[in-house]
Amino acid sequence: MTSARAAFDRVWMKFHRGETHDSLRDLIPAVAKKLVGKGPDPRQLDGGDFWAVRDLSFEVLPGQVLGIIGAYGSGKSTSLRILTKILEPTRGRVDITGRVGALIEVSAGFHGDLTGRENVFLQGAIMGMRSKDIARKFDEIVEFSGISAFIDTPVKRYSSGMNARLGFSIAAHLDPDVLVIDEVLAVGDFLFQERAFGRISHLAKTGIPVVIVSHQLDRIAELCTDAILLEKGNVAFRGTPADAISAYIQPRTATTAPIEVEDGTPIRLSTVQLLDEEKVISGEWYTVRIEGTVLHALPESLEPVLIRVRSLLTGRILFASGSQRMDVTFPKNGTFRIDLKMQANVPAGSYMIEVCAYDSVAQKEITRAPSVMIRVSDPNAFLGTVQFNPRMEIQAL
Amino acid sequence: MDDTRLPELNRRTILGDLRVIVSDFINSKDLLVQLTLRDIRVRYKQAALGFAWALLLPVTIVLAGLAVRIAIAVASGREMNGHQLAGMAVKSVPWAFFVGCIGAGTSSLTGNITLVTKVYFPREVLPVAACFAQSFDSLIGLCAVSVLLIPMGVTLAPTTAWIFLLLPLLWVYTLGTVILLSCANLFFRDVKYLVQVFLSFGIFFTPVLVDAAMFGAKGAPILMLNPISPILEGLRLSVVEHHNLLEPMLAPKGFVVWHPWYLAYSAVWAVGLLLIASVIFHRAERRFALFV
Repeated sequence: MTSARAAFDRVWMKFHRGETHDSLRDLIPAVAKKLVGKGPDPRQLDGGDFWAVRDLSFEVLPGQVLGIIGAYGSGKSTSLRILTKILEPTRGRVDITGRVGALIEVSAGFHGDLTGRENVFLQGAIMGMRSKDIARKFDEIVEFSGISAFIDTPVKRYSSGMNARLGFSIAAHLDPDVLVIDEVLAVGDFLFQERAFGRISHLAKTGIPVVIVSHQLDRIAELCTDAILLEKGNVAFRGTPADAISAYIQPRTATTAPIEVEDGTPIRLSTVQLLDEEKVISGEWYTVRIEGTVLHALPESLEPVLIRVRSLLTGRILFASGSQRMDVTFPKNGTFRIDLKMQANVPAGSYMIEVCAYDSVAQKEITRAPSVMIRVSDPNAFLGTVQFNPRMEIQAL
Repeated sequence: MDDTRLPELNRRTILGDLRVIVSDFINSKDLLVQLTLRDIRVRYKQAALGFAWALLLPVTIVLAGLAVRIAIAVASGREMNGHQLAGMAVKSVPWAFFVGCIGAGTSSLTGNITLVTKVYFPREVLPVAACFAQSFDSLIGLCAVSVLLIPMGVTLAPTTAWIFLLLPLLWVYTLGTVILLSCANLFFRDVKYLVQVFLSFGIFFTPVLVDAAMFGAKGAPILMLNPISPILEGLRLSVVEHHNLLEPMLAPKGFVVWHPWYLAYSAVWAVGLLLIASVIFHRAERRFALFV
């Protein structure tokens, strides 16, 4: 196991809105102000400044895959740029042991006039590979990219997809101690995306510390062991990928621990767990166990257990139902356990099962259980959005 | 923001910075080779003149010098000789190298914005690669000039060996200048316009078309204050005039046109500038992505 690690220790990063002085005419008064001690304090915000990252701390150890999620402008990419030494933090410390490999802007170093072959060596060197390593892996890189027929063509004649494929292939053959990935999981067509994802999964499983930034929540859910949700440059949530995604999709409600109910709340939902294997086959049955406690008499307006299934690919709710519709009778008092059986009639992907108690009069959730994530696989890879479980029988006439 | 609970950034020392710069360079030698190859390949691909590009600027400088020298010869009533032409030819390639490096190197960071903002590697490699690519051109020019010196009556002598000190000195001085200018141009975009002005008129403050001695007893030492002047004059004197640069040289009118201290002066400038420029560049490079 590698001893590499990546850590942020109370990191702050200041940016400036609008133009900074970029001519010598503006420099002279700025330097004069600094000399007489009237210059801006770099640790404080000046007019137009803002914190892109605020007091951010995390540590990624060997075997950990940390996902960073959040809305645009939440500080994800800035954090990665600090991690990869492109930016220096305004304050705080970044500790990285080992060589960092970054899958960020994988074709940034390409020159249009150079051939694919020449660009493989150029981009590889920019990413920190040694020429002899690139030469050794060259055939593998070209084969992975799937554009071997065009490798001696100038890349200015490549389509953007071909560019991205070649760039990703080079980056995917890095041999880093710490891996940093930023939004490169959606490269090329569907088949290449699957191959690229497989390659990243392979790298992530080699035991090196990995940090991933992506808006593809299903990929985060599948790859990561831990996740943090960033809001305005600060950690809004830290926990399992499922909980972090849940917090991102439904702010202020997700948690890893059972939610403490307010006084007077008639029910507490403590655990939700998948009884079968974590990986569910498309079209097959699986069981989710829900445990909770009835604290007071349940009012008629309350749906004690409302279930929602959410796609992590789109963030949309695919299915919702509740215990009332399924004619479940709860005990008047005390703990209960529900085994909920459902069919995974969905395509392969990651889905979140959210469980809450819902008051239909107040139209709000009064309590919620920790969400559980299921990963659906489909060996037959059907096309479409709903699994109809087709069976074919043929008879010779 | 509560200052007391924030960890301090690591304190930097000049020696520590220089150590990091050297180690970064050793680790980035493959990248340096690839970026140099990129610049050379791009320059010569689809180029109508091909390798003749490398000779264009030195030839233009020699022709311009020829015109100036003919005008001076006509005005003074003295004839031009082959050694004067050879002296200009010897100085034209190093000057073309200096001008080419400054031109390409100043915009080496701003011309690679995507790389500077998106990918980490030691940024010093970009201006250095620009100098290496220019060195390739200059090597072709140097070979061509070496052949042309024969019909001009220039022969090999032990003093010719001074080129092995003077050319590296020129390289180091140029590198220091390019590193500093590329960094300055990233923060202040008017630097490249200032550089263009200096390059256009710099030839009049440098003994390229003329020799320092032509400026007289007072003018020659002033001209030699330009750190590149002793290097160019040293090249002419050692290669064409076969003068040993460890000995002073007097003009026919009796004033000093060469002194070994000139060489030491240029060497201090070259090494000092490179060290200072490298440290400034290194300390600024983590802010490049914010300003570029």
